[in-house]
Amino acid sequence: MTHLDASTDRPKAAGAKIIRYLDVVKRYGAFTALAGVALDVHAGEVVCLIGPSGSGKSTLLRCTNGLETIDGGDIEFEGAHLARDERGLRAMRQRMGMVFQNFELFPHLTAEQNVAEGPRTVLRTGLEEARRRAAAMLAKVGLADKAANYPSALSGGQQQRVAIARALAMQPDVMLFDEPTSALDPETIGEVLNVMKALADEGMTMVVVTHEMSFARRVGDWVAVFDTGRIVEQGPPHQIFERPTTERTRDFLSHLGWS
Amino acid sequence: MTFDWSVVWDHRVALAYGTVTTILLTIATMAIAVPCGMAFAALRLYGAAPVRAFATAYVELFRNLPLILVVYWAFYVLPILTDVGLSPLATGLAALSLNVTAYNAETFRAGINSIRRGQVEAALALGMSRAQALRRIVIPQALRRVLPVLASTWVSLFKDTSLVSVIAVAELAYVSMQIRAQTFRVLEMLTAMAAIYWLLGYPQAKIVDWIQRRYAVSE
Repeated sequence: MTHLDASTDRPKAAGAKIIRYLDVVKRYGAFTALAGVALDVHAGEVVCLIGPSGSGKSTLLRCTNGLETIDGGDIEFEGAHLARDERGLRAMRQRMGMVFQNFELFPHLTAEQNVAEGPRTVLRTGLEEARRRAAAMLAKVGLADKAANYPSALSGGQQQRVAIARALAMQPDVMLFDEPTSALDPETIGEVLNVMKALADEGMTMVVVTHEMSFARRVGDWVAVFDTGRIVEQGPPHQIFERPTTERTRDFLSHLGWS
Repeated sequence: MTFDWSVVWDHRVALAYGTVTTILLTIATMAIAVPCGMAFAALRLYGAAPVRAFATAYVELFRNLPLILVVYWAFYVLPILTDVGLSPLATGLAALSLNVTAYNAETFRAGINSIRRGQVEAALALGMSRAQALRRIVIPQALRRVLPVLASTWVSLFKDTSLVSVIAVAELAYVSMQIRAQTFRVLEMLTAMAAIYWLLGYPQAKIVDWIQRRYAVSE
């Protein structure tokens, strides 16, 4: 396994390790979804997880904030073991924003209420502060004018931007993106990727499961290639996309018409 | 054969009392059966195994017994079992509540189950507790989905209250039958009774239609 942490290929490696995956194992019955995954995420990095469907990328992301439990190995978040009890999990999830493939906006709430819900219910900020944060976050994703709209009245790209705003309203240390553009019409993918790019430029630490290779290449600081529950190769984007060292990575990229 | 419709007018006060009793019986039954139905749904969804089994048994029993049987059972058996003699009205209310609670429990359970798992995950990912996710995200959505079903149950219940006439609860059906027995004006009284049920029931059905349109789920 190539660990290039100390090299100049990983300029943000000087930052603290925010998430450490230590030989993470996850099984569903007889199926092994993660067969020992080791990966570090440093402060301010954008780490992209790529690979074929069913290779374990999303599973790893869902283990990160405890939506799935792990069966072996360990995950450290900000220096502490991943909590197993509900209280510990909740405290940890407040510091990790998550964006889902299918947005999962709350359909009974307006865009503003969706974004204000976390601060109100979880952080107990009070209504005024929650609304102030919601307005600021919606403006940040370019949807200030849609605050009063229900999700059903928004396009897919707009819904996903609201979902990003909802996660940001908790002022997380890390953002987890689970295939954020896979459910979108091609013409709205760009607006979501632009918001993510802007977030990366601000220095947000991000773990992104994606099939958007151009995003991984342009925005990613570090790319991990998954196959059958393992990371077959990880490195800076120029290595992965221009000089992949494993046959499996070359295969995967050529299937996507990338080479 | 000649008709004498004056019998309806002559007994207008009794009919009015019966009508009011029918309406109050419907309201009281729903006032009991909605919270109890929620409670039974919660027991079935989140209770420990024995509690869940009990709640399931209750729901499946009362959902699959004819209401009139439950009414008779409540009238004859309940006093023996509990050693409490209830008035016919209270007995009727108990029988209706047992039945409608079972229906409502199933309605609420289906409503909560219809909210997809991703919604709970999104709430948990924000740092909510399971209870907060249920209260803030799942239940408000589930209520919107079950409201049209509850409204149809209401309309059915309004008509089904007539079944408690068999244990002499003085609601609209019983009162009408009493007047019929005293005056032998069968056709007039049945027609009057039908007219009252219909005039009260039709607007309710229209309101249900409106609710179903108003709260149609769009995602």
